Amino acid sequence: MQEKIRTLTDGCKKLIGGCETARALGELRARILGKNGELTALLKGLKDMPDDERPTAGKIVNEAREALEREFAAAAAALESAELKAKLDAEKIDITIDSGGGVGSLHPLTLMRRRICDFFTAQGFTVCESPEIETDYYNFEALNVPADHPAREVQDTFFITDKILLRSQTSTGQIRAMEKMRPPLKIISPGPVYRSDDPDATHTPMFHQLEGLVIDKGIAMSDLKGTLDLFAKEFFGENSRTRFRPSYFPFTEPSVEVDASSGSGWIEILGAGMVNRNVLRMSGIDPDVYSGFAFGMGLNRITNIIHAVRDARIPFENDARFLRQFG
Amino acid sequence: MKLLLSWLNDYVKVDDIEPAALADRLLNIGFEVEQIIDIGGGIDRVVAGKILDVKPHQDADRLSVCLVDVKERILTVVTGADNINTGDIVPVALDGASLPGGKKITAGSLRGVLSEGMLCSGAELGADDSVFEGAGADGILILPAETAAGRDVREILGLNEVVFDVAVTANRPDCQSVYGLAREVGAALGRKVKPLNLKYTARAADKTVAINIEDIGLCPRYTARIIDGVKIAPSPLWLRRRLRFSGLKPINNAVDITNYVLLEVGQPLHAFDLRSVEGGITVRRAKSNEKITALDGAKYELADNMLVIADDVKPLAIAGVMGGEFSGVNPDTTCVLLEAATFARGSVRLTSRTLGLRSDSSARYEKGVDYASVDTGRERALALFYQLKAGKITDYKGGAGIDPPAQRVIETSVFDINRVLGMKIKAADAVKILRALEFGVKQNGDALKCAAPAYREDVDNFTDLAEEVIRFYGYDKMNPTLPFIAEPLASGYEPRLKKIDALKDFLVARGLSEAVSYSFINPKIHDKLLLPQADPLRGAIRVLNPLSEEFSVMRTQLSGSMLDIVRLNASRQNTPLRLFEVAKTYKSAELPPKCLPRENETLCAALAGGGADFYALKALAGGVLQFFGADCALKYGSKSWLHPGISADVIFCGAVVGSFGKIHPLAAKSFDVPSDTLIAEIDLEYLLASKKPVAVFKPLPKFPAVERDLAVTVERGVAVGELIDAVRRAGGETVEDVKLFDVYEGEQIAAGSKSVALSVKLRSADSTLDESGVSGVMNKIVGALGAEFNARLRT
Repeated sequence: MQEKIRTLTDGCKKLIGGCETARALGELRARILGKNGELTALLKGLKDMPDDERPTAGKIVNEAREALEREFAAAAAALESAELKAKLDAEKIDITIDSGGGVGSLHPLTLMRRRICDFFTAQGFTVCESPEIETDYYNFEALNVPADHPAREVQDTFFITDKILLRSQTSTGQIRAMEKMRPPLKIISPGPVYRSDDPDATHTPMFHQLEGLVIDKGIAMSDLKGTLDLFAKEFFGENSRTRFRPSYFPFTEPSVEVDASSGSGWIEILGAGMVNRNVLRMSGIDPDVYSGFAFGMGLNRITNIIHAVRDARIPFENDARFLRQFG
Repeated sequence: MKLLLSWLNDYVKVDDIEPAALADRLLNIGFEVEQIIDIGGGIDRVVAGKILDVKPHQDADRLSVCLVDVKERILTVVTGADNINTGDIVPVALDGASLPGGKKITAGSLRGVLSEGMLCSGAELGADDSVFEGAGADGILILPAETAAGRDVREILGLNEVVFDVAVTANRPDCQSVYGLAREVGAALGRKVKPLNLKYTARAADKTVAINIEDIGLCPRYTARIIDGVKIAPSPLWLRRRLRFSGLKPINNAVDITNYVLLEVGQPLHAFDLRSVEGGITVRRAKSNEKITALDGAKYELADNMLVIADDVKPLAIAGVMGGEFSGVNPDTTCVLLEAATFARGSVRLTSRTLGLRSDSSARYEKGVDYASVDTGRERALALFYQLKAGKITDYKGGAGIDPPAQRVIETSVFDINRVLGMKIKAADAVKILRALEFGVKQNGDALKCAAPAYREDVDNFTDLAEEVIRFYGYDKMNPTLPFIAEPLASGYEPRLKKIDALKDFLVARGLSEAVSYSFINPKIHDKLLLPQADPLRGAIRVLNPLSEEFSVMRTQLSGSMLDIVRLNASRQNTPLRLFEVAKTYKSAELPPKCLPRENETLCAALAGGGADFYALKALAGGVLQFFGADCALKYGSKSWLHPGISADVIFCGAVVGSFGKIHPLAAKSFDVPSDTLIAEIDLEYLLASKKPVAVFKPLPKFPAVERDLAVTVERGVAVGELIDAVRRAGGETVEDVKLFDVYEGEQIAAGSKSVALSVKLRSADSTLDESGVSGVMNKIVGALGAEFNARLRT
């Protein structure tokens, strides 16, 4: 009996080793361990054995069966993984081939506007819109530029009628905000503005500006300095500083041009100042109670400086090769 | 304005300061020096030389060989000039010299003779008669006999002059002059500013002229003086040089004096020949159709909103702009009527603009001339007439106009000044600065009473004083702080802006690049878009004063600009293209508008090349509508620039809010874009205003779905969308989804028909569908398609 089992087991193990497919392995298993399999037959034969030999023989047969089951399972697993590997190998493709698609890109001006808006909203500013086609009042009168003021000439404004014009500055947004909201207020207002400049390397008749306005009790010019210092560090590097140069705008007093240091020298980045008392008064805010600062920066200018775009006209040309260079 | 440093130095000592350092000081107090012009800067190594000998060149008829003593040594110089003689002193460019315009001189052989330099003409040194006597003559410039050999020619010719081009802000008309800037520089450097020389003696007048102002609003003040015994002659060299280096042309002593005063103190003056004045002077509005020939020789037709200086008979000058040709100073003028006045800046500007006539005087008046400057300017001019012996000043004093304005006194405190600045400047420092700027300051502890000088018409309240103090105290001493606002503020983006930004991200994720173009367009774009004459999109708002026709109307649509961008890119072979722009379109019911027009946020997208077809664009447009949660319907497109059969209009709440499709072949031609260009334009205002309803959760289905395919043949013209709608209607709630999976036209189908294969997904909310239930619904569907579209089931 023992001898018979060993022969059977050894023979089976050899056959398992020779199986190359899951199917052949299955057939072999059926032949040995199946209902009518050779080992199963031995098991069945136990009942004809003498009672005293039966337990020992039974144990031997069962052990042999368990051992063979393990052999079959191991062989099946090996075959399965080999087959899977072969299948995966066969499915391999050329990953270097492109099929187009991919994401597009935002215009650098939009990217810069977002960066700047995000910077200011993180400091508690609200982003507001205001109209591009404006009345004379919002573009001039309310900004302390009366009818015969020389600043009207400097701006070289595009007119639609004698009372309606294309805004020449986003400062119009200050007035709109002051009319809508009561102080304290902290707003920025980005958008296109229009000036009668022939397009050249440094001018375009339309460009984008971003206006900022802070009004509350006790706002001082040093607050403007602090706010813009942070801005310079964010956009022109950790070591960047600002320089205030006295200047003139009808709607601020005192007024400054602000330069940021960047590597080698100073770059003019914006105009700013303390909101003129007349402007506050005209917008219904008591200048003896409230004060504030305002600044206006050229978004195109800052975008072009930061991205080293040397010609102001290029961003408006929309050559796809230009557009795709930005995120 | 041009500022000659030697002229500035007459009033405040600056000749010990490097020009660049002085420019920095000016920048710090608000005057940007845009350019530092070194007049003789182009000249180097050119010195005076004495000609010791002139001999003809042996091998060249027209050349001479000179021996020239330049002090250090004696040079041999070959020249082609024939106006030189032994003993003449001439400018010699030495070996290695530079001349204006970048010309370099090196020693070299001329026909076998080594020439160690070059003799120069006035023109070669950039000099003419207004700079140096005789410099305008042809040939080598002969210098005065007493000139020392070896002396730098820049000094001899007065070319060692540095000129600043200073940007003066509009609030400081008082600084549009040498003296005005001298006051600022004096305060900045802490140096004394010398007073103007206003000295002269007057003799009794034997002539007078009555002055009358008719419109005091346009001419607040008019004064006149008479100078008799005038001898018209060229001005002295120093004066001519100053005018010339300031950009003005010297004319004669009388005219030059008026221009010199304009530059020095900023007061425009005019000199009339008294012979031309018949009767008195009246400052009045021009009569309509009144004409005058101005000094520029052109005849101008005046209007009644313009101001003239007239005598009893005729206009003599266009007030503040230009004098008349026949009333001005002539070579034989012997008696001058000198005008010093102020005119309303708005009036001068309007007149100058309307006539298209600008002058140094009008430019100055447009910026504003203060009351007191009339006296200063006039007295300075009289002193110059006296000093130059150009005429005899009489004691006639003509004048009319308003009384001098009261002195502006601002009551404030050091505390208030510091409050504006956020600083702690000491009272003594603030007072010192204000006094240096000629403010009359009375200090009482912290309280200040500041009387502004007459020329500081820009100073109105304590914030102006704060600016004066910080200008000179220095912004570099301001410590940064951050605004502290205790009250919480809502911060962030307006919801519409947020939505537009998210839309842009959505489009970028779909592979589109963003374009930004000008809001004003050429109205010819309307023709290129094939817009019918009556199309409302032609009703674009016009700019009154456009740069050119190209930028003359505000766009009512974005497609035109986008197609121009497609053309540019296609011509540069940048295809395939996927582009979008989000910008405003401008619409007004009335033209020209009486109130502010609507500004509608609008999206335009274009696809060109890369195999994109209508359905690709439809998927994109559909995605945008879905993005806004807008439930829109489509119908065949109505836009003139789109293919009528391959485009759709988007209907939202009954209105057409957009269109998309393939470009019309004629529009492709007019814009010169590829014929497969696809373009979409959607007015976002409707969509931005629509609110997505709050989603209410529907329980997920518990029972399995059954899918059935259905193929029918229908007439070719039947729309798949309509078939699908019919399937939904017929199947009712059980139809969960209907998908098209094939459209076939061809051999196996009758001509004029097509086969449409649909996959229908059925599901019941409350039971598992059995076969009889499924076939019941499918039969209803087939029946309905048969009845509505004459559809036959394909088997």
